[in-house]
Amino acid sequence: MDPSEVEFLAEKETVKVIPNFSLDKIYLIGGDLGPFNPGLPVDVPVWLALNLKQRQKCRIVPPEWMDADKLEEIREQERKEDAFSPVPSCHYMELTKLLLNHAADDIPRADEIRTLVKDIWDTRIAKLRLSADRFVGQQEAHARLDNLTLMEINTTRDFLLDSLNSMHKLRANLQPGKSQDY
Amino acid sequence: MPCERKPIRYGHSEGHTDVCFDDEGRCIVTCGSDGDVRVWEGLDDDDPKSINVGEKAYAVALKSGKLVTAVSNNTVQIHTFPDGDPDGILTRFTTNANHVTFNFAGTRVAAGSSDFMVKVIEVMDSSQQKALRGHAAPVLSVAFDPTDEFLASSSCDGSVAVWSLENQTQVANWAVLQKSSDVSNAKSLCRLAWQPHSGQVLISVPVDTTIQLYERGSWTHVGTLSDDLLTQVVNVVVWSPCGKFLAMGSVGGDLAVWDIEAKLCIERQKHERGYTVCAMAWHPSGGQIAYTDTEGCLGLLDEVCVPSSASSSMQSSKLSTAASKESKDYDDLFDEDDGGVHVLDECVSDSRSPAKSAVMEDDDDLMPATSRPRNRGAFLDDDENSQDTASVKADGFVEEDGVGTVLSTAVPAVTRPAYDGPMPTPPQKAFQPGSTPGHLMHRFMVWNSVGIVRCYNDDQDNAIDVEFHNSAVHHAMHLTNTLEHRLADLSHEAVLLACEGTDEVASKLQCLHFSSWDTKKEWMVDLPKGEDIRAICLGQGWAAAATSSLFVRLFSIGGLQRELLSLPGPVICMAGHGEQLLIAYHRGTGFDGDQALGVQLLQLGRKKRQAIHGEPLPLSRKSYLVWMGFSAEGTPFCVDSEGIVRMLNRSLGNTWTPVCNIRESCKSRSDHYWVVGIHENPQQLRCIPCKGSRFPPTLPRPAVAILPFKLPLCHTSTEKGQMEEQYWRSVIFQNHFGFLSSSGYEVDEEKQKQMEKAQQELLMKMFALSCKLEREFHCMELAEMMTQSVVTLAIRYASRSRHMLLAQKLNELALEKASHLQEEEENEEEQEEEAAYCRTVQSVNPFSKGGRSPERPSLKAVSKESRVNPFKVSGAGRSTRSPAGQPRVANVLDTMTSRRPSLCSSIKQSKTAVLKPLAPKARSKTQATLLQMSAPKGAGKKQVENEVEKQTVQKLPATAGGGVESVRQKTGFQLWLEQNRKSILADRPDLEETEIIKEAMGRFRTLSADERLSWTERAKGMSGEVVDLKKRKRVDEEKKEVDVQLETNANDAKKRKPLDTSAKLSAFAFSKN
Repeated sequence: MDPSEVEFLAEKETVKVIPNFSLDKIYLIGGDLGPFNPGLPVDVPVWLALNLKQRQKCRIVPPEWMDADKLEEIREQERKEDAFSPVPSCHYMELTKLLLNHAADDIPRADEIRTLVKDIWDTRIAKLRLSADRFVGQQEAHARLDNLTLMEINTTRDFLLDSLNSMHKLRANLQPGKSQDY
Repeated sequence: MPCERKPIRYGHSEGHTDVCFDDEGRCIVTCGSDGDVRVWEGLDDDDPKSINVGEKAYAVALKSGKLVTAVSNNTVQIHTFPDGDPDGILTRFTTNANHVTFNFAGTRVAAGSSDFMVKVIEVMDSSQQKALRGHAAPVLSVAFDPTDEFLASSSCDGSVAVWSLENQTQVANWAVLQKSSDVSNAKSLCRLAWQPHSGQVLISVPVDTTIQLYERGSWTHVGTLSDDLLTQVVNVVVWSPCGKFLAMGSVGGDLAVWDIEAKLCIERQKHERGYTVCAMAWHPSGGQIAYTDTEGCLGLLDEVCVPSSASSSMQSSKLSTAASKESKDYDDLFDEDDGGVHVLDECVSDSRSPAKSAVMEDDDDLMPATSRPRNRGAFLDDDENSQDTASVKADGFVEEDGVGTVLSTAVPAVTRPAYDGPMPTPPQKAFQPGSTPGHLMHRFMVWNSVGIVRCYNDDQDNAIDVEFHNSAVHHAMHLTNTLEHRLADLSHEAVLLACEGTDEVASKLQCLHFSSWDTKKEWMVDLPKGEDIRAICLGQGWAAAATSSLFVRLFSIGGLQRELLSLPGPVICMAGHGEQLLIAYHRGTGFDGDQALGVQLLQLGRKKRQAIHGEPLPLSRKSYLVWMGFSAEGTPFCVDSEGIVRMLNRSLGNTWTPVCNIRESCKSRSDHYWVVGIHENPQQLRCIPCKGSRFPPTLPRPAVAILPFKLPLCHTSTEKGQMEEQYWRSVIFQNHFGFLSSSGYEVDEEKQKQMEKAQQELLMKMFALSCKLEREFHCMELAEMMTQSVVTLAIRYASRSRHMLLAQKLNELALEKASHLQEEEENEEEQEEEAAYCRTVQSVNPFSKGGRSPERPSLKAVSKESRVNPFKVSGAGRSTRSPAGQPRVANVLDTMTSRRPSLCSSIKQSKTAVLKPLAPKARSKTQATLLQMSAPKGAGKKQVENEVEKQTVQKLPATAGGGVESVRQKTGFQLWLEQNRKSILADRPDLEETEIIKEAMGRFRTLSADERLSWTERAKGMSGEVVDLKKRKRVDEEKKEVDVQLETNANDAKKRKPLDTSAKLSAFAFSKN
């Protein structure tokens, strides 16, 4: 799975926007959106929010968790614990990236938030690598990982699975008796 | 003889206080952490003179007309006394002084400071200063020796030192105190004192719970004063002027007086509330001790160790005459022949000498006196941020405005000490709805449903930003604010700005008319000199400005001057919407925290009129107006500081209905919602949540939240209460439809219908609930609010749930409603053009809601197959109109004749009502009989026949138009039955009503076709005859009823059948026969 595909999925998340135009409800396959009243916050999917933002039709209200103080807390929590701690949104990385890239002017302390989210991401990926390493090293058959997000799984899956496959092949070759099969 | 402890009274805000008497003992002077020095002419003084000396005052000393204070800007200042004019700075420290004191002659001042230093300054020449250095911690207190030779000081370093003033050295030092790092941490303030006028002078030093006495000169410890009952740390000691007594106050609020010769504790009192006593002062003639505590209260011990009873009694009598004189003055002021008050006064002044009654009198006086400043404090403190101080400044406009003079003359009158009535409230200042306080550097000048106007007023920038919610209206604007505009309003057409005038510049009104089609998009008006703009607003095509001269000036949006009107009082705020102008102003003086506001609503359209003629604007107790404006639909709303949102209820004589309490939605006490707009459809209260403040900051940009409305009805936790609330809310929020259509606006009829439908649904639900609870009277009351078509449903519901009595009553109601409807219809026809407030008409107009009842959800309960119209019961036939409607002016006769008989019949029904419950089996029949149960017997029979006939003979071509319910024609069978009924009854006397009909049916079928046809002919002819008869004369009631039915049948027939003319003809033929 491509990261862009994960990002595409993340665009289904909703975010509050304050439109500066007036429009009745719009009826889409995915659900009804609106009505849009100028000045009144309304929930829309991220893809629409970004589209409106790019056309300067709205201001985006950052999600509640996208706040430097809250993210700092999460980062500390993440660093303190060995296991993965729950994240505020299952698409936190994608949403941060999307919103900060397109609507940084609507988000207070945008740079801090970018750094904090990157920190959280790095911490979590490091943990993931570590646990993968331990998993392979101890030759376990299965492992349980909680609170992982789709993007995180996606980053490690290809590599981990491929390497596990290769190792399996190598180990199978090592075992006596079976080598004759090939 | 025990001394008398007067009740304490509130003097300053919480914190350290100090107290002293003036030289003659006429006034008590206090200072407190609020930075004020107050001069009290006795404890009863309700209007102490306040002198502001700084941000915080730590200590005060007064002698020979010089008031010396130690204040928080690290200075010791002098003010003149009693005028309170600043008279220079005596000295400065690097940090604040903790204590100041005069020497006995009043020529020098000593001050001890937290920078470890003691300074002695000549009052006349402040350049002559002596610094006493040696303490290793903040100095707590200082005291002059009576002969000016020495000075004693206590310090946080634990030492008490005596200094020789001549060579500025320590002559004695006792380390007797507990060490502490700072005054705030010190256990005791350790206010020491020298004994005056005595051969052997003693220094008294409070040490822990005792008082240590040291001899002057030898500096030896000569004694200790302690008492088992005094367990708290002693804070203050003071000597009586005669030097015989020593008074002390402790941290725990103990007050004691010692006789120094006997070393006996002769007085023991306790502070009323047990607060820490932090200052005490003897009256210069002895006999009274004033004390203050760390909560800012002032207390007095009277008749303490009276040295000679004569002097004290003289004292008190002097006081009492003063008091009674004052109270009389006060009465004179009002110039009323209120005998009662005078008598009371005399009693009081007479009975003043007995101590007890004096106390009582004091109590009476003090109750309101103490409560007043607290109220005021609460009023101001209540606000977490400075909005109040800004918008409700005490006498803001009283000072400036000519109008205020009336009030200001009243103010001194009511603040006389003897006055204990309600206190006037400082009038609220004018404001713009949706603006944040003007003193802020970044603020919203207005936030409304059109957009936002922000004002930046800081070092770099003095600018105004205009932003529109809807960018289609106009692009954002950035203006430099050279004129220092304070007020703004924003509409779809223009931005209106106004500034107050200064000495040089007149007050200006500036309008950026951006929607103008010419090139001049701006105009400005200067107001006459001395007239300031207080409030502005914009409507559609006009702008208004209310000024300090109590004018409202109207301008056209292009800048032409229009009408000018006077207001009865100073304006508070204005709001505009379309052609409506809403003005709130001060109607008078409010009392006890309430504001007295009035409101006017003007229509500025083609037909100018005043909709509200200056009626009082209701507010919650002790609150003020925070927002006023129109909903998007044009209904006036107002919000007070208690968070109650009120709405003008035009359908209830322009009263104000509370529709929401914003504070209920707040999570914590200090949170508020800042209202920015109101919509009635959908019901939205748009506001900005503010954590811990009343208004939002400009950054980060606040987001609008939506609050629901909720009428404060009772029992909203129960289902019934909830539905009642929903119903009435819906009714109130529907009023605007009527208003809009009456003032010629377009109305979204679909939405209106939806709302009406929802209301009726709610009524039906409530009806069902009440039915379940067997509250039939409730049901009836509910049904009265229903429309006719819903009543029919209710009737079905009632009859199906076996509430027969109810069903019957509902029938009557339905009839009544029908006749009302008819009347209204007629009225409508008569005066078609008068469409005013057509809502009520429409809501019951059957034409407008054709076919609606079948959609009702509650209808599902009723079987679809039953075509029975419950109204048949009535026999009046009015309900037989098909819901699809009948051409309105089908026949002039119809409308003329049909109404009255139905009324009669309904009356008659109620007289002859007979309840005939039947088994609810065979559905169709049951229905029929059930519904006719209330009809009079004769008519009932006919009904039944009619019914059965319909079911059986329905397919007859004559009625084939059917399918539509309620085709009811007097058929041949009915006529036949009337005639042959007796014979049937004679044959089978045991038959039930329904069985008779069955029987009759059978027999009718046996007749030959010709015979049957002739009966039908006759039936038709009869109906024609009736019409004819009608023209000529009235028949009796019974007959009429039949007539009506027949007539309507005939009408139906006429309508449906092409052969109705021939029918008519045949009718004539019949009548001739």
